[in-house]
Amino acid sequence: MAIAVEHFSRTYATSGGDFTAVNDLSFDVASGEIVGLIGPNGAGKTTTLRSLAGILRPTSGRVRIDGHDIIEDPLEAKRRLAFMPDEPHLFEYLTVDEHLRLVARLYGVTDFARRSAVLIEELELKGKEQSLPGELSRGMRQKVIIACGLVREATTLLFDEPLTGLDPLGIRRMRETIVARGRAGAAILLSSHLLHLVEEICTRVIIMDRGNKIADGTVEELRARADLAEAGSNLEQIFLRVTGQRDPSGQM
Amino acid sequence: MFAASLYIIVCSARNRARARLRRLREPRYFIGAIVGAAYMYFSFFGRLRSARSSAARDSARARGTGDPALAAGPALVAAGPALAGISLLVVTVVSWLAPFDSGLLDFSDAEVEFLFPAPVSRRQLLIHRMLRSQIGLLFGAIILGIAVPSPYGFGRLRMGVAMWFLLVTGKVYFTGVSLARARLRSASARTRRVAWLPVAVLTAAIAIVASAIARAFLAAPPSSVRRALQLLSEVSLQPLPRIVLWPFAAITSPLFLSSAPAGAYLAALAGSAVVLALSTAWVLKSDEAFQDAAAEAAQRRKRQPQGQLAVSYRTRSAGWTLAPTGRPEAAFAWKAAMQTLRVVDKRGLARFVAILFVLTLAATSVGREGPAATLGAFAIAAALFAILMAPQILRVDMRQDLRHLELLKTWPVKSSAVVRGELLWPGVFLTAIAWTMIAVAMTLSGTVMPKVGLGWRLGGGGAIAIVAPALVFAQLTIQNAVALVFPAWVPLGNQRPRGLDAMGQRLIMLGGTWLSLVVMALPGALAGAIIWYALGRFLGPAVLVPAAAVCTVTIALEVLLATEALGPAYEQLDLMAVERDEQ
Repeated sequence: MAIAVEHFSRTYATSGGDFTAVNDLSFDVASGEIVGLIGPNGAGKTTTLRSLAGILRPTSGRVRIDGHDIIEDPLEAKRRLAFMPDEPHLFEYLTVDEHLRLVARLYGVTDFARRSAVLIEELELKGKEQSLPGELSRGMRQKVIIACGLVREATTLLFDEPLTGLDPLGIRRMRETIVARGRAGAAILLSSHLLHLVEEICTRVIIMDRGNKIADGTVEELRARADLAEAGSNLEQIFLRVTGQRDPSGQM
Repeated sequence: MFAASLYIIVCSARNRARARLRRLREPRYFIGAIVGAAYMYFSFFGRLRSARSSAARDSARARGTGDPALAAGPALVAAGPALAGISLLVVTVVSWLAPFDSGLLDFSDAEVEFLFPAPVSRRQLLIHRMLRSQIGLLFGAIILGIAVPSPYGFGRLRMGVAMWFLLVTGKVYFTGVSLARARLRSASARTRRVAWLPVAVLTAAIAIVASAIARAFLAAPPSSVRRALQLLSEVSLQPLPRIVLWPFAAITSPLFLSSAPAGAYLAALAGSAVVLALSTAWVLKSDEAFQDAAAEAAQRRKRQPQGQLAVSYRTRSAGWTLAPTGRPEAAFAWKAAMQTLRVVDKRGLARFVAILFVLTLAATSVGREGPAATLGAFAIAAALFAILMAPQILRVDMRQDLRHLELLKTWPVKSSAVVRGELLWPGVFLTAIAWTMIAVAMTLSGTVMPKVGLGWRLGGGGAIAIVAPALVFAQLTIQNAVALVFPAWVPLGNQRPRGLDAMGQRLIMLGGTWLSLVVMALPGALAGAIIWYALGRFLGPAVLVPAAAVCTVTIALEVLLATEALGPAYEQLDLMAVERDEQ
């Protein structure tokens, strides 16, 4: 499995005592799969993605990327990973081209010039290569983060709200990019509140609520479960039902 | 609107005070508050006692001996407002060329969203910002009043009031400059003409004063800094420059009258009040450019992370392109070099100029006349500063990069290599500055220390040059170790946390760094001392070089071991432990 998560939990110490953000989560993502991670705010999606990326340490459980444990063998695991966070934190003093160059150096990308040129074209960053992040819109900065993630040959891609700040054309391009990477064999885990996008491009969906996994399967499988959905439900209706939220149309 | 402004001010102050008191529950803030309070107590009361006793001593000595240095005091006080006035004129001119950010137009996001759409006039918004800035200005004036070496509490109060007038006028004036610059770009020709008026007046003023100074300096070129100051003072008393400099001298003269008779002080204060009133009227009249200037300030603020000082970057070719392959440490050094070379930090520049000014004063106080001796003394002071103080000030390392920890943690780089990479550029940069200054100092050492023999001067200079990188890297290691092990104690990026507790934390950090440096340098110093003892009689002054080399190697080994030991600390460092928004 490209991503293997076993009994993963993460607890934060707060002034009011310990708070469990993710509780005993287990799932796998195979190569070529695009898995959507959805849930209401505070469900633990970002904590899960950050822990998979090696940013947060699991309180308990194991996370493996292509068989490499993220704690015990972090360098090998990280070499195979690309994490695209929702907030584009870039170095304010490096240009777009220099961000790509730096990432390429750290990941040992040999054909940087070719890959960089393709990505600049694909993500519509042409003409912005020498711009500093402060001169870019939020959507453009998001594209730079994504370009940094894609400039190396990562086998596992983690996207946290990848479409935030993008214009309609950018959203369409990004959707195509994610699907193309999945078809090329990458294991993709993406978190998004855009349920129609998840329904459209993901091969499987994991629904989380208050740190727990409450559903896992293809949209068809979720639809088929009587406890989760009524006949003909779409992902949004399933989501609202399993998370106990009221549908604006009046249905539970 | 006035009532609404007061409501916002009172609520903000109350909530801020509550938040500060609440955070005292955390030990680091509590300990910091105790240390900060103790520092304030001893520096205030200690200064008060010593000022009283030295004032008594001085008056007795002046009566008994007629010391000319003491006698020169009143003359300096008389020339002070004029010299300060000339300095203010220069600052005023500079503020047009490179505008200072007064902060008065920096509306917070909440202010923009609540007040801009409200039925409130531009002038009312400006008055609101002026009122909001008062708490900070009053605090600054009180601190400066306390810091002044006056033996009497009433003198400090007078100084505080005078300082408040100066600070408020400065803030209002710099806001006026921002508004006037926005008006210079107005589409209306009439508005542009009116906006050029203060520029024309200021240009005439600087021309009058500069020509008078040039005439005086050409007629009798000054032989020393003291003589130059004396000439400037004489120029400011000439009829035309005196008129031109009046507003600048008026705003500073109360600062020099804290122990003068009450009548003279109040008259000077009235002059300051007139200048403040005129500046305020000018700003309120310029309110039509308010929206443009406020939008410009908002844009500037948007580029900055919350709670950070204004630092911006400009794309500049640094002549260094990162090679596609190589050690990761070099990539970190390249990244930090780009940051250093591209920064446009006006506050940092102001601090740098202030440090240069202090170093120059220190150099001139050595007592030797002549440019070579002054430059030599300056180079010595600058080298010592670069070696012993600058590693704590230049924060282009983990202290900055903890803000980017989320990104750094995803990189497949060995943790000890990350730590070493973070130290590399600031260490090399500061060592290069120190070496340059040491080279200048050694070249001119004959004029600075004529009684010291050439051998000792060369040996001493060479030894300091050898030890410099070790001391610089050792301090950087200590600072970065604290950032990794106790991240909450370190202000991230350009943050400058405020409050007594934050000041106490900084003092603890400074003391801790110095103590750790002594402990780290001790084995190297001992090894160097053994070399000195063993070879001193054979090599003479040249023994300093091998002794320094042994000391440097010892410290370098310690630094290498420390970076390896810090690797696990970096791995264990939790993102949540890093405070992102400390203010």
